[in-house]
Amino acid sequence: MSIQSVFIVSDNYAVLPEFCSGAKSLADSVTAIVFGGEEEARQAAGCGADKVIYCPVGEDVLPEDYAHAIAEHVKSASQAVVWVYNSIRGKALAGKISVYLDTAVLSAVNEFSLEEDTLVCRRMVYGGLAMRKETFAKSYGVVTISNGIFEVPFVEGAEAEICALEGAPISLVKRISHKEKKEGGVNLVAAKRIVDVGRGLAAEEDLEMCKALAKVLDGEVGCSRPVAENNKWLPKSNYLGITGVTVKPELLVAVGLSGQVQHIGGINKSKVIVAINKDKAAPIFKNADFGLVGDMYKIIPALIEKLS
Amino acid sequence: MKIITCCKVVPNEEGITVMQNRELSTEKAPLAISQYDLNAMESGKKLAAETGGTMVALSVGSSSSLENTKIRKDILSRGADELKLVIDDAHGFSDSLQTAKALAGALKNMEYDLVLCGAGSSDLYSQEVGIQTGTILDLPVVNNVTGITAVSDSTLHVERTLEEEVELLEVSLPAVLSVSSEINVPTVPSMRDIMKAGKKPVSVMDMKEEAAPSTRIIEQLAPKQQERRQQVVEGDGEEAVDALVSFLRKEGF
Repeated sequence: MSIQSVFIVSDNYAVLPEFCSGAKSLADSVTAIVFGGEEEARQAAGCGADKVIYCPVGEDVLPEDYAHAIAEHVKSASQAVVWVYNSIRGKALAGKISVYLDTAVLSAVNEFSLEEDTLVCRRMVYGGLAMRKETFAKSYGVVTISNGIFEVPFVEGAEAEICALEGAPISLVKRISHKEKKEGGVNLVAAKRIVDVGRGLAAEEDLEMCKALAKVLDGEVGCSRPVAENNKWLPKSNYLGITGVTVKPELLVAVGLSGQVQHIGGINKSKVIVAINKDKAAPIFKNADFGLVGDMYKIIPALIEKLS
Repeated sequence: MKIITCCKVVPNEEGITVMQNRELSTEKAPLAISQYDLNAMESGKKLAAETGGTMVALSVGSSSSLENTKIRKDILSRGADELKLVIDDAHGFSDSLQTAKALAGALKNMEYDLVLCGAGSSDLYSQEVGIQTGTILDLPVVNNVTGITAVSDSTLHVERTLEEEVELLEVSLPAVLSVSSEINVPTVPSMRDIMKAGKKPVSVMDMKEEAAPSTRIIEQLAPKQQERRQQVVEGDGEEAVDALVSFLRKEGF
């Protein structure tokens, strides 16, 4: 049982082995469409795809500009699902490709299965309150997916055929300049241990205490949406939840975090959850393996001391 | 500058309940403006003021959400001069392309320089409708916009924040932009804004854009609660912290 074709579109080479192995288990033919030159595409030849197609990009040509050409290429298969990496650029690519294929985008799909040769997609809706299970009603479909949903293969795949995408880019937007972001991004998806900070934190400088705890645990610091968006104490890329980053560390220590559904949806794949909160009724305790009802300002320093 | 800001009326998620059979009930949930659209309205309001322009709010949806006068007033209290509605009970608007086609259909009958959308709706959060709407209309589109500056009547400088870099883009108008929730903090409407909102015009556009659904929903259920041990210790003294430390040690951390 399988579907005909999966086309993987990603502006990040690192996710290809994982996506290709996931796609290979569901589809007969897997093509990876990447952005860059032939040399970079050759380096990705062992990613597990049957074919790697590259789209040359540069200062004036952005990956999004290839949406039409990619859609035209996808149409060479009579039935196909396009898997786009769920980056910001990926979201723009997915939306454009979907219009050219006259189909919808199912965003942030986190599980696939096959039912009678149809690809069934599951994703969270209503801020994590429900899991929606749906399929495409048309010959083509577009989904966006994040990394971390399939197993990463240990061995390299066979050498894929490499070729350039046919069709020219179409630029409707001109890039004047670009610069690296100042804030250092953390890779929470890869973190094995996370200290997850909520609104119980009274002041920005108290983050130091949480960082110190993360350090003794050899982990990273994540947070809830209000801490990043309202208080702006941590970059937006640090907030966990359905509309933020979805993580599955070995250990997550939630401090001063109430545990709203939206947030739980982003952390409930963690292996072990520990909660520290002074409010006994906080929903986080229902989602924790171990909970301490008490003042985080007393518990965290004592914990750091005992763990160091 | 003539600005149109798209906004979606959704059930307030805090009022949604999970029923015994794990299905959701929105029956008791009050209507709300999708929270990320508030950022788009705020951007539109500012840009209209800066350029001496206007802002029209546009919403598509079912009669049960858009015929509510309270929500209409709420939308109009946030800087729009006028509200245009496409009421359609035939389509469920359950997929992103259907919504985009309805918006694009409405926009074909309107005058504008710039269309603004939020990052994604707070119910389905596809984050695609703005991009799709602009693409259907063959216009420049940009998502995750974190800054907008009008450099002339026909050109914008747009800042877009990606995961690791910030781009400065030149966008010629008309265009469709989806703003990031980082772009601003929406202002709470004042009493005066609310009073004025009741006097602003609301019109229902007479149009039906055909859009067959691209997806089929098989089921929608609350996820099963992850099994957790829920061992809880009360206290923040040494004993409590020791209990936590021994738990962590036992788990191998």
